[in-house]
Amino acid sequence: MAAVAPAPGPAQAGQGPEATPPPEATVQDTQDENQSKTKDDPEPPKPAPAAQSAKPAKGGQQPKADQPAGEKKLSGAELKKKAKEEKAARRAQAKAASGVAPQGPPGQQQGQDKGGKGVKPKQDAPSGSQSQRQAAKPVAAPAPPKETKPKVPVIFSHLSMAKRISLQQTDKDVDPRITLLGQQMAAFVVDDSTTRTQATLLAMKRVLAAYSTPQGTTFSRHFTAHVLNPQIDYLAACRPMCFSMGNAIRWLKLQISKVDIDLADFEAKRALSEAIDNYIRDKIDVAGPVIAEKTNALIKDKDTILTYGHHFLVERTLWLAKESGKDVNVIVIDDPFNPVGSEFAKRLRAYGFGKIKYSPNLGLLPDYLKLADLVLAGAEATFSNGAMYARAGTADVAMYAKNMNVKFVSLCETINYTERVSVDSLTYNEIDPEMCTEDGVRLLFDTVLPEHIHRTINEMGLSEPSSISGMLRKQEEQE
Amino acid sequence: MPSAVPGFAPTLDSYLRSLKGHAHLDLTIQSLVDLLKRRQISGPEDCALATANCLRQVVAKSKWTDADTLLANVSRAGSKLMRARPNELVIGNIVRRVLGLIRDEATEDRNDGAPSETPSEGQMTPIGEMSQSFHSSAPTEAPRRPGPVGAASSANIPRSLSMLLSAKDVADNEGTISPFGNSGTSTPLHRTTNSQVHALRSEVINGIQEIIDEMGQVDDQIAAHAEVQIRPGDHILVYHPSPTVQRFILRAAQKRKFTLLIHCMPQPRGATGHDNYRALRDKLKSQGVQSIVMTTGGGMSYMSRVNKMIIGASAITANGGVVSENFSTIVAAAAKHHRVPIVVLAGVYKLSPECPYTQETAVEFADPMQHVDFSDGSLVHAVEVKAGLTAFLPANLIDTYITNLGTHTWEHLSGLISDHYAEEDVNLHLKAPQDA
Repeated sequence: MAAVAPAPGPAQAGQGPEATPPPEATVQDTQDENQSKTKDDPEPPKPAPAAQSAKPAKGGQQPKADQPAGEKKLSGAELKKKAKEEKAARRAQAKAASGVAPQGPPGQQQGQDKGGKGVKPKQDAPSGSQSQRQAAKPVAAPAPPKETKPKVPVIFSHLSMAKRISLQQTDKDVDPRITLLGQQMAAFVVDDSTTRTQATLLAMKRVLAAYSTPQGTTFSRHFTAHVLNPQIDYLAACRPMCFSMGNAIRWLKLQISKVDIDLADFEAKRALSEAIDNYIRDKIDVAGPVIAEKTNALIKDKDTILTYGHHFLVERTLWLAKESGKDVNVIVIDDPFNPVGSEFAKRLRAYGFGKIKYSPNLGLLPDYLKLADLVLAGAEATFSNGAMYARAGTADVAMYAKNMNVKFVSLCETINYTERVSVDSLTYNEIDPEMCTEDGVRLLFDTVLPEHIHRTINEMGLSEPSSISGMLRKQEEQE
Repeated sequence: MPSAVPGFAPTLDSYLRSLKGHAHLDLTIQSLVDLLKRRQISGPEDCALATANCLRQVVAKSKWTDADTLLANVSRAGSKLMRARPNELVIGNIVRRVLGLIRDEATEDRNDGAPSETPSEGQMTPIGEMSQSFHSSAPTEAPRRPGPVGAASSANIPRSLSMLLSAKDVADNEGTISPFGNSGTSTPLHRTTNSQVHALRSEVINGIQEIIDEMGQVDDQIAAHAEVQIRPGDHILVYHPSPTVQRFILRAAQKRKFTLLIHCMPQPRGATGHDNYRALRDKLKSQGVQSIVMTTGGGMSYMSRVNKMIIGASAITANGGVVSENFSTIVAAAAKHHRVPIVVLAGVYKLSPECPYTQETAVEFADPMQHVDFSDGSLVHAVEVKAGLTAFLPANLIDTYITNLGTHTWEHLSGLISDHYAEEDVNLHLKAPQDA
């Protein structure tokens, strides 16, 4: 997997070593690129039905009442035609994508013997119960040929795994933009939870832009069930959804359900895409720098910071510490199976850090913790009991740091908070699809217990792990 | 000259072969020092075997007319070897064992009024035969052989205990002999005759052979405890299992159905043939035991499934800590956090009277080239890259020690140490080099 191509790194490295660290920007870039590419292709199939159906819809509600039977038949045939056109577009899109996607999809499509499943809404818990309920509804998958499940040792068989879904097996309702994103997620090109959420929301925004409500139904009723859900199912099938995607999609559905039935299509779409933009701005774009700022306040001059693997929030924080003139020593301990830390160490060097230590695995952790003043780690998610879900190995770092009285600080945007509770690393986890055989497994994550965490920092401030459930409740009340 | 097979890097085998030739003794020692320094002999088992064989040459070939000279010769050669690899504690252990052996044999010789009763008679059998018959003959011979051999063959503690006491008694009663001192000023054995030297030499050589035999049997004797430790349905964790651990697991697999988790690190760059213990897993599979290779950055992620962790030790220090593979410290700490019992397997020859470390620390560092490409200039130039090779696990992580003598607790270890090493030799590593 990303052991070969470190996840969001390469794109960013392309921007030059002195570039500011926000890796989210890269998502936006690739997405915009996708958009510009996809705009030419998949748009054509849409306008035809859209033009027909949009006008009557604008005219008023009468047509719906007048011609119930005839219109429906016509729309059925229309749908078929549309689907065909879409399929063609999707093929074209796939071709275009092979140029865009950092990991050549030709390779992806070849290596698909094991993912011989149709769109099966097997999603990780994060998707939320409501989406799971709706997941059952959508159009039945075109009878998957054979269920060849990748073999996993029994004791880990409850854990889910990303898998490649070939284009032939893709449900016809899946938008090409989502197909691309799904493939990128399955290949771990779009990897960390925040980036995935942002990419998902942006893709949904484009799906929304291309959508027009068919006659005889309303936006808020039709969109979620017939357009949004198949997309989500597809993404969840490509890779189990992360907690923040679950949060964001739940939020999106809530917003859609709030849309006034009488509102014109284009107005509803505009309002929604504006809401999505605001959501991304508040929860992701602003949250990152705020967290970095708050974390930077904990760093003193001449401190030694230890970090595990790579997380963009940690990178941003360290960059900020350097910018604010602090002389900071950094120790990077890498994940031996996904060595993203070595690129990170190089980038730190480019930011001007003088003393960087790098170790390819956790073996020297006790020795390095003796030198460290602070341990920073970015979280994939935070549970309501204060536990932190992060790259496998983080829990070891935190446990050792606690033993040796070094403060362990976790960085996490509130979008990655979940109301779930986890007390052990095998409750929620994911298996690396590339390192999984009948008798061998690599777990991607582990759960840092709250007692090992000194502080959790989110965009609202510093909090003790024990206060997170209260914070979540407050947040819920606000929404 | 003990040289390697032309065209091939020297190994333990080629070194042992070279010992059969007629090389000068100094060359024999020096070549082992070089091999140790160049890590062409590495791993505790190989180092111990090479040391014992080298010391046997010292006993056989060096010039000595009394036990004091022999002790001086052996400790001079021994400290050279120890300094060649100060982190390989087993070398020192073997040197101490041989020194203790000489002391015991010499003490006994001196106390023997009638040489005809020397228990070494039974040992005059050819070495090869000894090694084969040792196991079966030991119990029957035991009563006839009072002390010295017992000290060497650690298969029987009580014997060596009684020997210690009796030796001391005799020394006190006679009052004339001070222990063969570190000072070297003690009364030499003036009465030693040629035949006595000859007898002492063959006894010591036999004793060393027994130490070597013991090392060969350690794995089997440890494995005998496997069934007790591993229960049906257990999930047993090992980290990069050593041959001792593999033998242990395989023995358990004959009787028990359990699941083995093997935690592995990725193969270092440039290394080949790392098959994640394919041979072991195949053997287990044929026994119906499932094995799972865990390739995960840390130990905490799966530790809640584990019932017991088994560690093969490179050495056990006097304070009960263990020198083992580098990353095993992390896995063991995770196990400790989950209250998973940790069992350490080691032959008693790995138990060292030294305790050079007190807390978690790396003992040896690995070649960073294995992890970072030298052509990767921006990393090589600017970043300090370090990786561990072996590490020290403090005693508080460990629950049980299994040696070839049985299962021990931490409290038991000091008794084992005093059984196996003469008090005078414990601080051998602290002494200044005796030669130029």
